[in-house]
Amino acid sequence: MKLVPVVSVAVILSGIGYLVYGGLGQNLVYFVTPSEYLENPAQFQDRELRLGGLVKPETVQYDPESLELEFVLTDGASEIQVVHRGTPPELFQEGQGVVVEGKINGEVFAGKNLLVKHSENYTPPQAEAP
Amino acid sequence: MSPAFLGQAAVGLAMAFSLSGLLLALRGHSQSARRSARLACLAALTAFGSLEWALFSDDFSLAYVAEHHSSQSPNWVKFATLWAALEGSILLWTLLQTGATALAPRFIREKSLLSPALAILFAIQIFFLAVVGLVTNPFILLANPPLEGPGPNPLLQNHWMMAIHPVLMYTGFVGLSIPFAVASSALLQHRPQDWLANAREPAIFAFAFLTLAIFAGGWWSYEVLGWGGYWAWDPVENASFIPWVLTIAFLHTLQVNQSRRLFRGLGFALILGAYATTILGTFITRSGVIASVHAFAEGPVGPLFLGFFLLVLVFGLWAWLQGTAQIQERGRLNLLSREGILVTGSGFLLLIALVVLFGTLFPLLAQIAGMREVSVGAPYYNQTTAPLFALVLLLMGLGPLLPWRKAGADFPRRAALLVGGFVLGSAGGLLAGLVWPVALTLGLLLYNLVAIGLTLAPLAKQGWPAFKINPRKVGSAVVHLGVAISAIAIVASQSYRLDIERSLAPGSSWQVAGVEITPGRADLIDEGYRQSRVLSVQTDQGGLYPAMRYYPNMAQPVATPAVQRGLGRDFYLVLQAVDPNGEWVTLRVVVMPLVSWIWVGGILIGLGSAYALVPLRSRKELIAGEVQPG
Repeated sequence: MKLVPVVSVAVILSGIGYLVYGGLGQNLVYFVTPSEYLENPAQFQDRELRLGGLVKPETVQYDPESLELEFVLTDGASEIQVVHRGTPPELFQEGQGVVVEGKINGEVFAGKNLLVKHSENYTPPQAEAP
Repeated sequence: MSPAFLGQAAVGLAMAFSLSGLLLALRGHSQSARRSARLACLAALTAFGSLEWALFSDDFSLAYVAEHHSSQSPNWVKFATLWAALEGSILLWTLLQTGATALAPRFIREKSLLSPALAILFAIQIFFLAVVGLVTNPFILLANPPLEGPGPNPLLQNHWMMAIHPVLMYTGFVGLSIPFAVASSALLQHRPQDWLANAREPAIFAFAFLTLAIFAGGWWSYEVLGWGGYWAWDPVENASFIPWVLTIAFLHTLQVNQSRRLFRGLGFALILGAYATTILGTFITRSGVIASVHAFAEGPVGPLFLGFFLLVLVFGLWAWLQGTAQIQERGRLNLLSREGILVTGSGFLLLIALVVLFGTLFPLLAQIAGMREVSVGAPYYNQTTAPLFALVLLLMGLGPLLPWRKAGADFPRRAALLVGGFVLGSAGGLLAGLVWPVALTLGLLLYNLVAIGLTLAPLAKQGWPAFKINPRKVGSAVVHLGVAISAIAIVASQSYRLDIERSLAPGSSWQVAGVEITPGRADLIDEGYRQSRVLSVQTDQGGLYPAMRYYPNMAQPVATPAVQRGLGRDFYLVLQAVDPNGEWVTLRVVVMPLVSWIWVGGILIGLGSAYALVPLRSRKELIAGEVQPG
């Protein structure tokens, strides 16, 4: 008599457990730098990544017609070519710290989302002591 | 007298009244404690007024005003600047908490529970007042005040909804403290039954405000952030979503607690969880432990709220052990009965809260476990919660049609009608070529419409008075209708989303999603507190004016989309970039079906909750025998 509810609860919980485990496994987005990525590229194949670093000067190419943005992301030691389709954020410029969300596609990183690191915290002008 | 002095004094006074109220309540002097609660609320209101005074008089000697206010802001922005940053929003939360304590006696009709419940509420507000007075004091003075400030975060200034959203949210949060307090005090006295009738009204009240706050937040995100979405499973959103879902589970378990005296331990656990997670949310969002799009400042507030959360949890568990030790619940649970469906549905809602909580805390847990820095992507939440939400929608139609204890003789006929609605909707949707999630949700919508029709049919036969004397039944039907409508709108808008970007020369046209758009000039308009670059776009259905707003204290402009709203679909146009030489503009078009119905659903949920709270008058009519209950 008590078997049916126990079994159904167990079935539901294991179903959810499976969804949580599987869902988490697929959808964890790792935050890596180019060096960390190049240490072990196989680990990050077909995974959603957040790649963080600086925009290497004189590598930025943007075509407003096709909205193709290309640049090299560097952390000083290693670099990765990034291709991103979409308008670059207003603050995007050479030497800027950026985070690109996307996946590795062969040798280049295909960005889906481009975030510019900047501080929105305003600090009021410090008055000189009299 | 200065605003800072008055504010400081008022916070101190509120603290004094709260401490005396706590002592009085602990000694059982409920009437005097009530008076203390009102005086503490009055003092907190004075503190709130002092900060508003400082804002409206441009008193930049206060650090809070200097950092978050601008004399150029419009008046509504000045008013809302009080809760535009951490210190002020904690003050607002504190004011609302003292208001909840002052109003609690109206909800708590069980006199013997009033004193202990007030003591708990005083303890809560003492925590908040201590934070305001000692940690996030908004009345701190600057030695060298500036002559002008930057104004609040531009994202908050950009839409009036952001002035309202936090007030709704905090009202919902503090509303949950009342059922939590009355439940704990009953359990501590080993009276697991006596609090139930007193918890329903404040919990529905809190639920309504949380619902409005969450939907308003989604609306703001859609109207202001220019990404064409309304929900992103961001930690800040989850922090409000978890207590909301737990409150819904609580309100449904509560009915089983009251009518069948079953699952009272679960009922208490749910209200404890709902209240505690309002505090946990502040830890998550304010401590910087979890990366979030909401760029809140880090500070000592996070750990304090974590400590307070643990305190609430330990206290609640202690009360739970005290109160449930002697409960002997008799009676078998029949799954196919009102209580069976209510408890099962609450269980699914609890699971939703748990998987969202797990996903939200996972980056923190991973960090503690020494893993690499990670974040949990939105698909995790969609995949885990979608099947649970589908089950909840299924049970939502079934529950109100079933009597207590066991299904009635007419159940097979009613169930057949429900299944008919489901099959008609899903099969019709699939035949019409809809993707399966939308077809399934359409089936669930029709299923629920049939269920609501069957629930209200007996009342409709008796005419309008029957609707008046059954506020619970009618209110819950309206809420369920709102949920079903929101569900189809969310699934459809996510499934059929067009998101496309293109650069255009001024004057050239673009045929997109059946609309021809032609960008014209992009004018720069100086509005004093900000500059706006407004692009005029001609479409075959009138003009659209997407803009980029430049605020002096923000390096990046804020994109304000132009939305052509419709019952069928929204056409959402964002100005992404403007060529400095005026040769091209980049436009982003997002088209989603049924988005407006999400907001309709949210409003229905709010209205239904309000109607479910219609009190006494109807009961008097009932006693007077004017009409017969339905």
